[in-house]
Amino acid sequence: MTDTRIPPARAERPAAPPAKDAPRPSARDRGTRLLATLFLAPTIVGIVVFTVVPIVGSVVLSLFHWNVIDEPRFAGGSNYGAVFGDETVLVSFRNTLVFMVLAVALQLLVALALALTLTGRMPVWLRSVFRSAFFFPLVLSAASISVVMKYLFNQDFGVINWLLGFVGIAPVPWLTSENAAMVTVVLVYVWQQFGFSFLLFVGGLNNIPKEIHEAAALDGATGLRKHLSVTLPLLSPTLLVASVVGIINALQVFEQPYVLTNGGPGDSTRTVVMVIYETAFEQLRFGEASAVGVLLFVLIMAVTALQFRLSRRFVHYQ
Amino acid sequence: MTDSHLTRRRLLRYGAYGAGAAALGGTAASWERLTGADIPGRDDGSLVVATLGPAYGPEAIRTLREGFRELHPDIKLQINAVQAVDWSDFFAKILTQVAAGTAPDLVYVATEGVQLFAQRLGVALDKWVKRDAAELKEYFADVHPSLVESMMYEGSLYQLPVEFNAADMYLNRQVLRRAGAQYPPADWTRDDFTTLLRDMKQASGARFTPYFWTNRLWGGVVPWLFANDTNLLAESKAPGGEWLWDSFYSAGQRAGRGGGFRWTTPQATHDRVEEVYDYLASLVRDGLCTRPEGGNGQNLIGVFSTGRVGVTPAGGFWAGGLHLAGMDRDGFDVQYFPRWRTQRMQYGAAGYALLRTSKRQEEAWEFIKYAARKDTLAQLFTTNQTTPARRSMLTAGRYEETGPAHWQVFYDTLDRFPDTGPIPAPPQVAEVEQLLLKHTGTALASSRSVRPALRRLQGDLEKAMERDA
Repeated sequence: MTDTRIPPARAERPAAPPAKDAPRPSARDRGTRLLATLFLAPTIVGIVVFTVVPIVGSVVLSLFHWNVIDEPRFAGGSNYGAVFGDETVLVSFRNTLVFMVLAVALQLLVALALALTLTGRMPVWLRSVFRSAFFFPLVLSAASISVVMKYLFNQDFGVINWLLGFVGIAPVPWLTSENAAMVTVVLVYVWQQFGFSFLLFVGGLNNIPKEIHEAAALDGATGLRKHLSVTLPLLSPTLLVASVVGIINALQVFEQPYVLTNGGPGDSTRTVVMVIYETAFEQLRFGEASAVGVLLFVLIMAVTALQFRLSRRFVHYQ
Repeated sequence: MTDSHLTRRRLLRYGAYGAGAAALGGTAASWERLTGADIPGRDDGSLVVATLGPAYGPEAIRTLREGFRELHPDIKLQINAVQAVDWSDFFAKILTQVAAGTAPDLVYVATEGVQLFAQRLGVALDKWVKRDAAELKEYFADVHPSLVESMMYEGSLYQLPVEFNAADMYLNRQVLRRAGAQYPPADWTRDDFTTLLRDMKQASGARFTPYFWTNRLWGGVVPWLFANDTNLLAESKAPGGEWLWDSFYSAGQRAGRGGGFRWTTPQATHDRVEEVYDYLASLVRDGLCTRPEGGNGQNLIGVFSTGRVGVTPAGGFWAGGLHLAGMDRDGFDVQYFPRWRTQRMQYGAAGYALLRTSKRQEEAWEFIKYAARKDTLAQLFTTNQTTPARRSMLTAGRYEETGPAHWQVFYDTLDRFPDTGPIPAPPQVAEVEQLLLKHTGTALASSRSVRPALRRLQGDLEKAMERDA
């Protein structure tokens, strides 16, 4: 049988002598390492094959002109020059950032408000119903949801405008006005995505010891003051996770604007990933598309790094 | 080297690990699993044909395959129906197969992709057409030369068209009756059209949309450009093609024909283009038609068949669609696109393109001929989901059950207006279409935004056309 006992932690061992004189690890240590490596191997192989290789491939491809049909030609940095000179790309970055701010803020706000409501007094069965209902859109395909929403939000034939007509509201150009289209895309996105943040918040709120709230209540903190001074600081690690995941997802938004508006009217809802798709698979400029992809990768890394840096100031661990 | 601390027991244990790993590896290697070689038709000697999935259902594919097997039992055939939402999506998927080294031998290509495939991937069919001219005489006699010309590129023929759809006007009879309007005459004008829309709107109320259109290359702004005797890109004809015209068409039919269409200089800021956009902007402003983003082909059949839309541009494919949606044959009818400066109309056609990478080009040519045969098309196009390229297939019997009453319009669009032409689809078509859709949306936001948007469209088109496809 395989020896599955966990070896003593390194810290419990005598201090390691200089490397030169270090004793050779025992056979048992080597066996344990081998076992650990075997267990980690599938994950490492997966990360290398599906993450590292594509990233490196994209960086390399961004230095070439390639249209799939002909041989790639080295382009140096000209793809990046073309990207920075392309108004559509710049607009798509602006749109994506606007989308990210609106969508993540709304998503966190809605999820937090609903989580706070559901962790209050409520029958257990009703709480389960709400939890399932809020999470349900997340398991549906974003594309199919968007197709349905496109029908609902249609200016001329949509159910939403039809219902608004009963209360005397004129048809709203949900998807056909530059200003309204982005808002509609955000609403559809948030409706589908907030379930994830909601579950995180429910878990986070349940982990806050009741004693702290009781102590705060004894000190006179109730209602909004209690949430601002007690709940939010204690929930800040969960907020950090929810916002990091939310921002990364929002920066990669594709399905909702692609199906709902196809980036329009004009370029008003065209996002970076849409531009990557169109440039690569419709216009066959894979080098430029990869350059945009690399820039998006850098943006996501920068925003995430900034979040973690700021988290030192705003996140409180118990 | 053997570890000096290795005991016999550990040696045995590692031996067991090794044997276990080897057994696992062996099992994995021998396990029946999917590999690249399992892609249908790959490297098994089959002739691989890629068709647009939604257009070719399982029954159509079975019909094609079995008919071909009867004729050519020696040729293994694999038909892959590639699912895609439109031609652009379909071409993207085919090009991905090309990039992956799994290119099919034949691809079903519509006008949108004819020049892209011809320039980059296709094989001209000239030598086979010349060789089998006697066999093909009957085919060309049955197919309008304009459709054939749309499949030519720089003097060579790349596809035999098997179907086409011209942008004619479908009219909802129920809405016509409600408005007290008559079925319009063949030579109706743009002003007649506008008056009809106003009458329909007046009779049907605020929640009714007289004219529904979809913002795309086929059936969007472009038919109006054609009617106003202009185009998005300057249109001319490539030289050549006499080898084909002289062999198969009479002097009258071949007059003015060339070696295929050329679409070159963008002309989005031309007066006539601006006139078209001004006109459409006025229809949007007056609530007579959908906005470009609002027109969505997916729900069109539903809103048309329920009388919430009066008029829409569509081709022969819609007769079958409306019938399947439960619309009575007398519930709708079709007329030519209205006249403006001309009554030139727009169409898109489709056929099979042979790829250069194919190692089975002779077999592929046999399939192309087979797919263009009348009996093949008759078996394929049973439900009027398209307009057959063969004139002889458009009969009263074909449209007896589905309608429309004036089914002759479909082919007469070519016969009566011989200058009717294909949608402008140069090799850079994907970018051209994307720019057209984008800037049309902006241009029709208001009448004041027409000119700025067209100036941007012009600039972007110039860049796109300068770029290598």
